[in-house]
Amino acid sequence: MSWWSEFKQHYLVKFWSPIPAVIALGILSTYYFGLLGTFWAVTGEFTRWGGHLAQLFGANPAEWTYLKILGFKGTPWDRIDGVMIIGMFAGALAAALWADNVKLRLPSTRIRIFQAVIGGMIAGFGARLAMGCNLAAFFTGIPQFSLHAWFFAVATAIGCFAGAKVSMLPLFRIPLKMKKVCEATPLEKNKQSAKTKFIIGSIVFFAVAITAITRSFDAPKLGMAMLFGLGFGICIERAQVCFTSAFRDMWITGRGLLAKAIILGMAVSTIGIFAFVQMGMEPKIMWAGPNAIIGGLMFGFGIVIAGGCETGWMYRAMEGQIHFWWVGIGNVLGSLLLALCWDSLAPTLVNGYEKINMLKLFGTYGGLYVNYALMALSFALVVWWERRFLAKKSQYQNNHQ
Amino acid sequence: MKEVIVPDYSLDMRGEPCPYPAIATLEALPTLKKGEILEVISDCPQSINNIPHDAKNYGYTVLEIIQDGPTIRYLIKK
Repeated sequence: MSWWSEFKQHYLVKFWSPIPAVIALGILSTYYFGLLGTFWAVTGEFTRWGGHLAQLFGANPAEWTYLKILGFKGTPWDRIDGVMIIGMFAGALAAALWADNVKLRLPSTRIRIFQAVIGGMIAGFGARLAMGCNLAAFFTGIPQFSLHAWFFAVATAIGCFAGAKVSMLPLFRIPLKMKKVCEATPLEKNKQSAKTKFIIGSIVFFAVAITAITRSFDAPKLGMAMLFGLGFGICIERAQVCFTSAFRDMWITGRGLLAKAIILGMAVSTIGIFAFVQMGMEPKIMWAGPNAIIGGLMFGFGIVIAGGCETGWMYRAMEGQIHFWWVGIGNVLGSLLLALCWDSLAPTLVNGYEKINMLKLFGTYGGLYVNYALMALSFALVVWWERRFLAKKSQYQNNHQ
Repeated sequence: MKEVIVPDYSLDMRGEPCPYPAIATLEALPTLKKGEILEVISDCPQSINNIPHDAKNYGYTVLEIIQDGPTIRYLIKK
């Protein structure tokens, strides 16, 4: 095997192990904050897209309270979050094309489309109520020392539990198609189309990378955000980083692999964010009110019903999984709905509650240690839960053999 | 030349998103006799992070994972 085909097979075709990939995401997102002054986040921008959608129908979203909080100017092309997301989509698409992993995968039953849209809407609404999804209110929110992210994380875990119970109901199950065979099923493999896809993937990658680099000379932040997006996208697709499964699969199969990876990624990020904050940067802190808890419950429930969260649908949509195009549409609609309801929800759920910075609540170093102690506790809980779940399972199997 | 593993049963989960392929795998495996091999076909890429791990956690042996192109084949022995 030539060095090139070995490299390709190893890094571009074979999936990456999720643990190092999530740690890499933790490191990347830390520098993202250091360079751009904001955290890696996607749903805020989806809400702005909802705003653009409303503009088509004659609305004036720039006047909406919620979009004033988020900032609503220009087009995605002029916003840090916007170009980062363009980069993310391009990165995920390039990565999927390189690996010959793009295929139009049609939903097998109509119930899946229903699940995707409804789940996506609930998740989009909940995420925006809490001011962030699995990123800003969890993976990149906890390292910002924002207490609301902890409220959201716990609520999401509970919401996912409820979602897992519902998604396993017979209504959502299709009958097993197991048959007796005497040889392995041949896998479809078209060498020529794989080659074409590889070339298209490379064109996407280089086109976006060159655009971003060129742009970074006159608009450094926008150029950098796009490059980071490209990296995030490649990483989540190659390692199949699914935040939904991190929570959900602890409840349904007792697997905590991704949950542990995410905690490690946040632990690596936390000290970096702390360093930037010590050098004078302002951390991004959100309201630690009932909105974070209710939002987390809805988000957790919604992502499990939909089968993917906001970052999850992005890379899966690029792989040609039609199911997740519907989840994306649901997400944008859900966040749009929240922006429309904000004025009636905010007085009871948000206003009057503080934006709590753990570095102020517990003191600078106290806050750092409390954040790490909570992460260590979460990690221990995941390990304990895995062992308990599997021990119960094997006991059950032994009794039924 | 690698030895060709011949499965006894095949479970086709193409078109189904995760977690359903993993759930179906864990439901199908107990119906096999000890030593029999189940083939699972899935085009949910994320199954790479759940089917092999769950199968191992539940005490089955993952014999082979073929990942080349959009469909993944898992061979799992009870």
